[in-house]
Amino acid sequence: MAAVRTSSEITFNRVAIVAVLLVTIIFLAPIYWIASTAFKPRNLATTIPPTVVFQPEISPFVKLFTKRSQLRSPPSPEEYAAAPWWERVVFDGGEKIVRDGKGQVQWSGYPSRFLNSLIIAITSTVLAVGMGTFTAYGFSRFKVKGEADLLFFILSTRMLPPVVVAIPMFLMYRAVGLNDTHIGLIILYTAFNLSFSVWLMKGFMDEIPKEYEEAALVDGYTRMEAFFKIVLPEAATGIAATAVFCFITAWNEYAFALIMTNRRAQTAPPFIPSQVGSGLPDWTVIAAGTFLFLLPVAIFTFLLRNHLLRGMSFGAIRK
Amino acid sequence: MTQIELRGVQKFFGAVQVIKDLNLKIADNEFIVLLGQSGCGKTTTLRAIAGLETIDEGDILIDGKPVQHLKAADRDIAMVFQSFSLYPHMSVYENIAFPLRATRKSKSEIDQEVRSVAKTLQILDLLAKKPSALSGGDMQRVAIGRALVRRPKAMLMDEPIGALDAKLREEMRAEIKRLHIKQGSTTIYVTHDQIEAMSLADRIVIMHEGVLQQVGTPDEVYSRPANLFVAQFVGSPVMNVADAAVAETASSVSVSVGGAASGFEFPRTLLSKLNGHAGGSLALGIRPEGVLIRRDAADGFMAVETQIVEPLGSFDIVDLKVGSKMLRARTKSGYISGPGEKVFARIDPTQAHFFDKASGKSLEVRL
Repeated sequence: MAAVRTSSEITFNRVAIVAVLLVTIIFLAPIYWIASTAFKPRNLATTIPPTVVFQPEISPFVKLFTKRSQLRSPPSPEEYAAAPWWERVVFDGGEKIVRDGKGQVQWSGYPSRFLNSLIIAITSTVLAVGMGTFTAYGFSRFKVKGEADLLFFILSTRMLPPVVVAIPMFLMYRAVGLNDTHIGLIILYTAFNLSFSVWLMKGFMDEIPKEYEEAALVDGYTRMEAFFKIVLPEAATGIAATAVFCFITAWNEYAFALIMTNRRAQTAPPFIPSQVGSGLPDWTVIAAGTFLFLLPVAIFTFLLRNHLLRGMSFGAIRK
Repeated sequence: MTQIELRGVQKFFGAVQVIKDLNLKIADNEFIVLLGQSGCGKTTTLRAIAGLETIDEGDILIDGKPVQHLKAADRDIAMVFQSFSLYPHMSVYENIAFPLRATRKSKSEIDQEVRSVAKTLQILDLLAKKPSALSGGDMQRVAIGRALVRRPKAMLMDEPIGALDAKLREEMRAEIKRLHIKQGSTTIYVTHDQIEAMSLADRIVIMHEGVLQQVGTPDEVYSRPANLFVAQFVGSPVMNVADAAVAETASSVSVSVGGAASGFEFPRTLLSKLNGHAGGSLALGIRPEGVLIRRDAADGFMAVETQIVEPLGSFDIVDLKVGSKMLRARTKSGYISGPGEKVFARIDPTQAHFFDKASGKSLEVRL
């Protein structure tokens, strides 16, 4: 079923489509750049003009995960032949993988930073969304004295750029021994996301008709049971949407991670650029690290895409 | 065996009193309809009985035991909501089984009971579906099934068919009645639709602004309304109500309406039945079927002019100008050809109601 359109509307439509395509290309260009650089041989990474057609290589990823050193002389043919394929691609680039006394491969700092990112982002997302859901339910269903003021107070925690409090936070964290700990960043990101989570979830909770819980109450359930059996499944869309946003915020956070952590609990965002300064910058390795770093958010968002789409338009349409 | 009793129930929302000193006794197996306009407190009353709303004063007794401090879950009452409130993420089967899962029944027992209720309601083929795939009538059947499955002490229904279209509403009305006769459970049903109330109820409870106006069988509230509110709320088309002046004539009593020069003839006994109110400010109430019309003059009939004719299929409603007032009469369809016709009208004294205008109360005049 298509409504009648005039020729000028059709022309406008075509122009709009071209404009949207252009904007999309501009937005996708950096991602293409990072993805292509991650698979380029090192000598093609910084050519001017950029190399578009090339033989993709896996060596940047091998280098990303291992500690390497410059080769002073090329490896002997026996040494080269004995090496596994992933070590050969490093030899080909004029470097060798560092091994300890027992011959074990030395890992780079990247895997542990990546794991830190996962632990911290997932835990803080679960906490922020969980607490946010309970808080939002309370505000949505019960008469809370000074509700508007409390909600405004919760929102007000987002009213200043977080970096403003970075130094005092750092001093406080140092005083209580929370800097460079997982729990430190988890608390920080949870606090960060909580206001957002409460407000978003409140919107979703308000949309769930009270009658569902009332029906459950009359059907013989307690309010807590009604919450878990009826409200939570109904709020799944909202929870998914909120979780995606919280996860992205925690995953991408750079400033606090840079200030509060340096090794043990350091996340990937401050680690990746720090590699630029160590020796000769190998942009392919940095691109490989960035490319891998993009994946979890992309996968997470992709898995929840249906919920997310519904979540974005939730409440926009009156049923 | 479930009796429900409300004793002096009061409920405030802030400064607004929504239930004012409500007293009501509901017998076992009785089908009670709470009838009133929106905002009259009927739904609040129902929710208070269900335990979804607290009350500020009074007692709610189920089988003689006060339950106002019990949680909804502990009152053993089922409720059907206007929005049906079927859990969208559960199938029809799971929806009906949901109240049973709150008890400690075994899976096979639950299965058996769900299927037996589904059979009664003829929704066996819907069990695997999600509520979103159901029609309005089927949603309603499922909602009723969910309420019935636990065999509760009482069923509460809050405008359960209000969201359906007219034809379906009529079907479901009959179905609810059939079901009540078959299952026989104490039922309290809330509606603003007087036709629903009349057709379903054993007794109708009419409420207005939080105050109980009249409790009675459908026939009682229709033919013997306790006050002007009930008189005008129950019955369609609406009862004619007009200021009336009573005067004694040589042979009878004349009741003039709307300041008309001549009045309608009433038997002499009216004076004694009015019991001294004859001189006070009176309102005459007469249903359209109590206004009799004929084309030719006859003894006791008054000449009037027709204004509007509304053909309603099985009968016509004719507006007659009497003094400054319009009286609506019910006639055979096609009896009056159109507006501006000279006809003769009379009021059937046995169908006339007299009200005290100041208090609105019926004077209980039966001729």
